[in-house]
This record gives sequence, C-alpha cells and structure tokens, in this order.
Amino acid sequence: MLETLPVAERAAAAPRGRRLSRAAPFVVAALAALALWLAPLVLDTFAVNVLTRSMIYAVLAVTVDLLWGFAGILTFGQAAFFGVGAYATAMILTAYGATPLGIAAAVAASLVAPVVLGLAVGWLSFYHRSTPLYASVISLVVPIVVVQLIYAGGEWTGSSSGLVGFDVLPFEIEGYFRLAALFLIVVTLAAWILVRSDAGRALVALRDNEARCAYLGLNPRRLQIRLTAALAGVAGLAGFLFANASAVVAPENAGFLFGTELVIWVALGGRGTLLGPVLGTIAIDYLAANLSGDLPFLWQLLLGTAFVVIIILLPGGLADLVGRLWRVLPIGRRRPAPPRLVARAAATEATGTEATGTEIPILKVENLAKAYGALTVLEAIDLEIRAGELVSLVGPNGAGKTTLMRCLSDGTEPFRGAIAVGGTPITGLTPNRIVGLGVGRKFQVASVFESLSVADCLRLARAAHDGLSPVGQAETLGLPQAALDVLRMTGLDRLLTQPTRLLSHGQKQALELAMVVALEPRLILLDEPTAGLTKAERTTIGAVLKALTAEGRIAAVLVEHDLDFVREISSRIVVLHQGRLVLDGTVEAVVGSELVRTIYAGGGHG
Amino acid sequence: MLLTLDILTTAAILFIVSIGLLAIFGVLKIINFAHGAWLTVGAYCAVVTAKLGLNPWAALPLAFVIGAALGGLAEHVIIRPLYRRPLDAILATWGLGIVVGQLITLAFGRDVQLTPNLYAGTVEILGVDYSAYRLVALGIALAIGTLFALTVERTRLGLSARAVIMNETLARSLGIDTGRVRLVVFMIGAGFAALAGVLLTPLTSVDPNMGVSWLIGAFMLVMVADASYLALAAACLVFGAAQVLISTFVSPILGSIAVAVLAALVLRISPKGFSRA
Amino acid sequence: MVEAARRAEPAEAALALDGVSSGYGAVSIVRDVSLSVGPGEIVALLGKNGMGKTTLLKTILGMVALRGGAITIGGQALSGLTPAKLVALGVGYAPQEQPLFQDLSIRDNLRLAVPADRMLPEALERLFGHFPFLKDRLAQRAGTLSGGEQKMLILGRALMLRPRLLLIDEISEGVQPSMVERLRGVLLAEREAGTSMLVVEQHVAFALGLADRYAVLKLGEIVDSGSTRAPDAQARVIDHLAV
Repeated sequence: MLETLPVAERAAAAPRGRRLSRAAPFVVAALAALALWLAPLVLDTFAVNVLTRSMIYAVLAVTVDLLWGFAGILTFGQAAFFGVGAYATAMILTAYGATPLGIAAAVAASLVAPVVLGLAVGWLSFYHRSTPLYASVISLVVPIVVVQLIYAGGEWTGSSSGLVGFDVLPFEIEGYFRLAALFLIVVTLAAWILVRSDAGRALVALRDNEARCAYLGLNPRRLQIRLTAALAGVAGLAGFLFANASAVVAPENAGFLFGTELVIWVALGGRGTLLGPVLGTIAIDYLAANLSGDLPFLWQLLLGTAFVVIIILLPGGLADLVGRLWRVLPIGRRRPAPPRLVARAAATEATGTEATGTEIPILKVENLAKAYGALTVLEAIDLEIRAGELVSLVGPNGAGKTTLMRCLSDGTEPFRGAIAVGGTPITGLTPNRIVGLGVGRKFQVASVFESLSVADCLRLARAAHDGLSPVGQAETLGLPQAALDVLRMTGLDRLLTQPTRLLSHGQKQALELAMVVALEPRLILLDEPTAGLTKAERTTIGAVLKALTAEGRIAAVLVEHDLDFVREISSRIVVLHQGRLVLDGTVEAVVGSELVRTIYAGGGHG
Repeated sequence: MLLTLDILTTAAILFIVSIGLLAIFGVLKIINFAHGAWLTVGAYCAVVTAKLGLNPWAALPLAFVIGAALGGLAEHVIIRPLYRRPLDAILATWGLGIVVGQLITLAFGRDVQLTPNLYAGTVEILGVDYSAYRLVALGIALAIGTLFALTVERTRLGLSARAVIMNETLARSLGIDTGRVRLVVFMIGAGFAALAGVLLTPLTSVDPNMGVSWLIGAFMLVMVADASYLALAAACLVFGAAQVLISTFVSPILGSIAVAVLAALVLRISPKGFSRA
Repeated sequence: MVEAARRAEPAEAALALDGVSSGYGAVSIVRDVSLSVGPGEIVALLGKNGMGKTTLLKTILGMVALRGGAITIGGQALSGLTPAKLVALGVGYAPQEQPLFQDLSIRDNLRLAVPADRMLPEALERLFGHFPFLKDRLAQRAGTLSGGEQKMLILGRALMLRPRLLLIDEISEGVQPSMVERLRGVLLAEREAGTSMLVVEQHVAFALGLADRYAVLKLGEIVDSGSTRAPDAQARVIDHLAV
C-alpha cells in the first residue's frame, strides 16, 4: 500500500503506519471473534463440541507458552491449576446449583484457589540460586499431588470417577462455543499486548539471562512467582469454563499426563510465538478427536514421533517454519522504529553531593575472608574506596580477584568479615538488593540479553528506576547522560534496534557497560572490561571510565590483567596475591614496586 | 516385623527401578524421561519369554540386551544432538517414551498381559508369612547394588565415568573418549531399567503405560541422590520407609505421593539432596 | 613452513602453527599465531595473564575450535582430531587449571591418563624413575599432596607415556625454588631423550634457563621471539612482562 505513495508522503505516513500496525491485532481479533461467532451456524454438532474443548485447551497452551516459550520456565503444572479451577467449579455448583450466587462463587473460587496454589508453587520453585530444572521438577510434582488429593476427596471430589450431573450455566453448545472463543481471543490478545510491551521484554530477559536481570536491580524471583500465580489464575478460569461446557470433571483433567500434552502442543505449534501454540493446539486436539477413533495408537505414535523430531530439529516449532517463509516476503522484514534517546537529569544529583560531603566511604571492606572447603581464597582483606576513585585490582591467576568482586556484589556468598556499601552492611543481601544500594557490576564475559534489541536491553537497565509499561512500548528512552556518552562513543546509538546477538564482542561489552552506567550506580565493579577487545575499543572504554569517575560522585573498581591499561587509567592500584592484599597505593608506588615485579615476572613465591 | 520387611522390600524395589536412571543422570546430566518406556520394554520381554515357553528368569538377560540396544540407538539419535539443551532432552525423551509405548500397543494390544510369577509362594520369617518374591527382590536389589558398586569402583569404565562426572574437560584432555563413555553408560542405564521392568512383573500389572507410574518416583529419588549410588540407597530407604509408614498409618493415597513430595521439600532445603551426607 | 623445515633438519617440526586463530564464542583470544617447535627443541611461550597462552595450548589439543590457520604435529595436519587421537600420536599435556581429580587416588589419576590398564605398570616405572616419592603414595588421594607434589604428579603423568611432544602449562607456578630446579632437571633429561616441548610460563628465569627459544604472547599475538641464548633475551622479556 505504501508503494503507491510519493516519497515525500511516505515519510509522513510512517507514524500513521505505526499506529496502523498497532491497531492491526485488534482488528484481527475482532474479525476472529466475528468469524467464530458465526462458525456454529455452519459447523456440525460434533465439530462445535470438539472445538469448544480445543479452544479452552488453547487458552492453557497460551499460559504454558508465556511461561516456557517467553519466560523460559518449562512447566508441566498448568494442568494442575486447570484441574483445581474445574474441580472448584464443579464442587461449588454441585453444592449450591447454578444460582447467580453459586456461579459467582464458582468463578471466584476457580480464580482464587489456583492463584493461591500458584503462589505456593512459585515460592517453592523460585528462590535465589534455584535452577530451571528444579522448577520443572516441582511443576511435575504439583499435578501428581493434586490428582492424589482428588482421589482422596471421597464424595467431595467423586474420587476416581470424577464429578458429573452438576448444574451448569444455561447455555446451548453454541453458547459455550462462543464463550470459549471469546475467552480465547481475549486471553491471546492480552498475551499479545503483554509480550509486545516493555514489561513483556522482561520475561524474555529472564529467560535469556536471569543473573543479568538480578544485577540490573530487578527481582527475578518476584517476577517469576507473580507470573506463575497470574497464569495459574487464567488456567483456573479455563477450568471453570471447561467444567460448565463439558458438565463433567475427572482426575485426568488435573494430571501430569495432560500437563505434558500441553507442552507437546506448544512445542509443535512453536514456543515463543502466540499464534503457533493456539493454532497448534486447536488443530492437534481437533485432529485427535477425529482420528483417534479410527486409528488411536497410530495417531499417538505419529504425534510422539513428530514431537521428538520437532524438538531436535526445529526447536521453534511449526511457527518458526512459517516465520522463516514470512521473513522472505518484503512486508515481513520491517524493523520497528527505534525509540528516541533522551537525556535524563541525574536523579541522584542532590543525594550524590550529600554523600560526598559526609565521611562515609562508598565501599568499606573489613577483614574479609572466604574459603571453599579447605581452600582459602581470600584472607584478611581491608579496603576503603571513596567517590571519585578508580581502583584497579591486579594480581596473578588465582589471586582471588574475581572472588572478591563476587563477594562485593552478592551478599549471599558465604564470607567472613564485613562489607558495607555507603554505610549499609550487605551480608545476606541478594544481588538485586545490592544494586538498589547503588552498585553496578559488569561481568567478565559480556552479559546482555541475546534475544533483545540494544534499546530493550537499555530500557531494562532503567526498569528498576522507571518501571516498565505492561501494555505498550514507550517511544522515548531516557538515559543518564553518562550512558548516552558511552553509546555515542561506541556508535551503539545508531544500532538501537539491532538484536544484541548480532553485535560484535566489543559492542556487547560496551552495551553492558552502558547498561550498568544507566543504573546510575555510586560504585561500578568491572571484571576485565577489556578482555578480547581491540586497541581502539580499549581506549574508548578507558576514556569512559575516566570521565565517569572524574566528576567525583562515582567510584569504580576494576579487575584487569592488562597492566598497561591499568597504568593509564587508575587513580589507585590494589595488588592481590594468593588471597591476600599485598599492596595498596598510587600507580607510581605500585608500578615501581619490587614486589609486583617479583610476583609477575617470577611466579613469585612468598 | 511385617513393617520392617515392607520397608526393606519397598526400598529394594525403588532402588531397582531407579538405579538405571541414576547412572544416566550422573554421567550425562540428562533426565531420561524414556525411563518409564525402558521399564515397559523389560516387562514385555517377560511377556515374550512366557509366550515362547522359556524359563521366566531367561527374561532378565533378554531384557538387559534389548534395553541396552535400544538405549544405544536412542543415545545416538536423540540424546547426542540435545547434549547442550538439557530441558529439551527431557521433552525429547518423553516423546520417545510415547513412541515406544505406542509401538508396544501396536504389537501387543493395550490389554493387561499376564506373566508367570518369577518366584511364587510365601515364606515364614519369625512368625510372619511373607511374600517370597518380595524377599527375592530384596536379594536382587542387594546383588544389583553390589554389581553396580563394583562396576563404578573397580572397573576402568566406572573410573572413566567418575572422571567424566567430576571434571569432563580434564577427562577429555587426558585422552578419554567421553562421547563413548556417555554412550556406554546410557546403554547400561537403559539395560538396568529394562531389567527392572522384568522384576516388576510379579508386583504390578503389565500394560503399555505401566512404566509411567514408576517414572516420577524414580526421577525424584535420583534428583535427591544427585549421581551417588550410596545416596540413592539411603534415599530409597528413607523415602520407602516414609511411604510404607504413611500408607499404613495415615492413608495409602498420601503414601503414594510421599516420595515425590518429600523429595521436593528436601531439594528445596538442600539442593544437593542426600549426596552431601 | 619453509622456515620450520629448514630448522628441523632430520624430520619435520614436532609442532608447527601457521597463522592460528581461535577463541570462545564471539571472543577471539589467539590471533594469527605462527610458531614451530623442532625435534628435541624446547620453546618457551611467555606472557602475562589473560594473553591467550592457555587457549593456544587448548587449541593445539583440539579443545578450543580452530578459527583459522593450520596446526601440524610431526608433519600430520590436525583438523578435527580429538584429544584421544592426540595422545595416540604421542602428545603429552600438563594442564594448569584443575589439573587433577582431587578426590581420586593418585593411582586412579594416573590410570585415567593411559589408554588401557595393561600399559600402566610400564608407565608407572617411568614415572617412578622421575619422581620416586610417588611410589609409596599411589593409594593416597591426589588432593592430599602439597602444591609442589601435585605439580610433579601432573608433569609425571604427562611424561609417563613417552610423549614425542609435551605441552606444559605453568608447571613452576607456586612451586618452591628447590622444587623448580628439580622440575627443570626432569624436563632437561626428557629432552635428552628426544622429546620436544612447548612450555607456557610466567616464571621468566625458569623458562629462559630451560628453553632454546622463546616467544612472547600479548593480547593473543606474538610480539617478540628469539633465542634464549641472546644476551638481551631476559631484559627484553621482562620488559614485555613488567607493569
């Protein structure tokens, strides 16, 4: 359509095009709703019945997809929340009938009970240093427990035969079909808005690099628990609809096998896309209903084989295949417009001057010691760092430099002695809390979000300060001047829409540095920021660090092997050797020291 | 007395069922969700043996060989490409389990199969009549445990496997063919699982989905044991005891989920499970 | 290649690198390194931490993917050879990071380094020839040895299969001067028997005293090389390594 416009008008049409593309999903959703509203008029009863069920399952597939495909949490547990919602509905309707009050109670219970269970499961699954495998394990146990509780429920739950014959909503099968269709469209649209929004990027960020999220001051645990609970609620509502539409609930509805089926549908459809799992689920469930009567075992065999093949060869599922074809077309290749970069007034200006006025050092380490088993890695470390200092931490391999950095940024590391940031002790604090105290850490291997664009990475770095919109994408990206300087010096400001996985190694290092600077930290920890960089890139990073600390409000500590680099930029050098702090002084004092010469040239013993 | 025997024999059966999974998890760091399918394959080896009119015990070597052969094939085709994607390996092995289950259904139908009891009758011990087979199973568990321990501690393969568990990079740099170690361990693990399937036949009905019900318990025990067979033995005893006691004194239904729930809680508190003790 | 052939008169170079580049993921660690070790020659590779020395050794061993260039050992090109094949070709390796299975016995540590158990007795005899103190301690856990003793075990393990080419990573690190002297004696004796060596070091005096030639690696590139007999060798190397 744009092709017909003269060039001058095309530029003017760009914002309109953007608005149009934003409205498109709503139009598609409205059209889909209309089509599905009319569908029962042409479909036979069998198809209407089966598709009603398929669409309810598709809602569950969307929740599995958000958890697994987007947030990286492989879950078999959505079946349990669905079952809890369905049983809550059936039990309440059995007891009170389909009176307005009964229905209202059933809706409420099918939402609240799974959410509460979801919170409990989330708490159990996600804690500091929990592993993705552990979360999957818990998600396996939950449906098994729920099913056994159903068996144990006697008359309340109908035990192994389930519940039948309860009053349901006063709808014909067409009515349920339309209700299920509306529910599916609303859930899918909401999920679409969420994953396109800035907050949706946080989900992908969690999947890509949970540690980086924590070191941007976000609380990964809270995000994961909230997501689990919210999607448990959606699954519970799907259970409500299912119990009404089918007028029967059975233990299988909550079971682990059903949970694995959901995962299979999502995998075949395409995890990490929304339409893939929705269409995949509907197609597979509908086909299953038609085919499994005639060739039940063969159908399962084909499905199982397809699943294995897809997991190995096409992890993105069928949607990935379609997507690749789509991107060959010219309209599939559009890049979104980059957000406008805006300089923010430094929010910490007032507090910053205040802090330098007082006598409290930014970092104070007293008598720090750490051991792994019998192996002592750090011993009797005392260190004070004040604003405006750029301190380099040097020493041979195994001297304990990286361990020291880890202790400074993660209070849950077991260490002895005391570390305080701006006067606050950090013992026991998780990394995201320490970021809150004003500490930014840059890792040795560039730690960014590989699936996101440069702009998204930077926006996540501001999320702890500015929040993230759960419904839209902000058109501006406000960053502190220092972060903008880093972007400008490294040319990243022209690559804002570039996916980070396409950046060079040096650009990734620069991006991570910009993200850390965007946190407006008082103390920056950098672990070998120049490793693997070219000479020009080193010079740029060195200039950035010098400029940052020169203003006198920020301090930086860097671990570095390149002693030429250290000599150029440091205001002070600290030498670690075999876990002890052996020298702490000005550049001249350390560089001229005989001790350092021995340590570096002689493998120095003692 | 009865309770003690129940606890010991339950633990023995849990151990038999999970040892193959442990070997695979320890060396390959992969959760093999096809484990249930290997159990089923083993049980159907017992069915075939019976149909051929052979001695029921002949099913044991047959199951081990068939399980190992299928395991070798699965390692090559499915596990190897997913070595760096452990969560996807769970899914692919689960899919493999479905495929195996359906192939068995196509070949044998989905009805419950009857197998001759490996060792019928009861024995009187200290005034209690007790199932002779459960006692035999206890003996077999001890034998398998000993065999496994000897393999791990005394053979070159066991040493290589431990080296891969402790430090795969170093093992590789010393010239150990770590890919071959993984293949052989996967085959042995699958073989042991099929063996366990034969041994389960007197205790449970044989149908194409029988393995699934044992899978989760075995899986949780292995997670808690974290690659140590001694820790697995301890976990089987502790959780087996919990299962028997809860089933006897509280409710059989709660007893049946005792292993999974307790194991999940243990892992939440101590992520390394029993292996640190 | 021409240069290598000229230096190595009787046979081809024990080890020849031609324009080798390698690294991890997006990171290039080693860039365009050319280097050769003649038969019976010892070459010291010096450089500060993080300059790519260990990565270069791992590239030779096939544990880090070769990005560019070619590596030949005794004239045979190495492409896609596993460490197992290299051991069969007569390459011994004494690693620096996590070099031992700390929880296994010394005997098991040594067993893992021979392709088959039947080769162990002969290999052990050779090992005891160099380090007799290990004879009575085979059952002991490797982790219970002192730092210097561990280094001897690591070196002995690399030597016991009579390698034609030895790759050694910072064998003198954290070792007392008297023990460093002993390691030097063992290596020189081994060279007399015809073994070629590439020795990665930070201990300048040890490395220059041991090697025939040296090369300095900086940011993944060779910035200096020459004979260790040159009068200014030590001064030049220290200049590169100094702060």
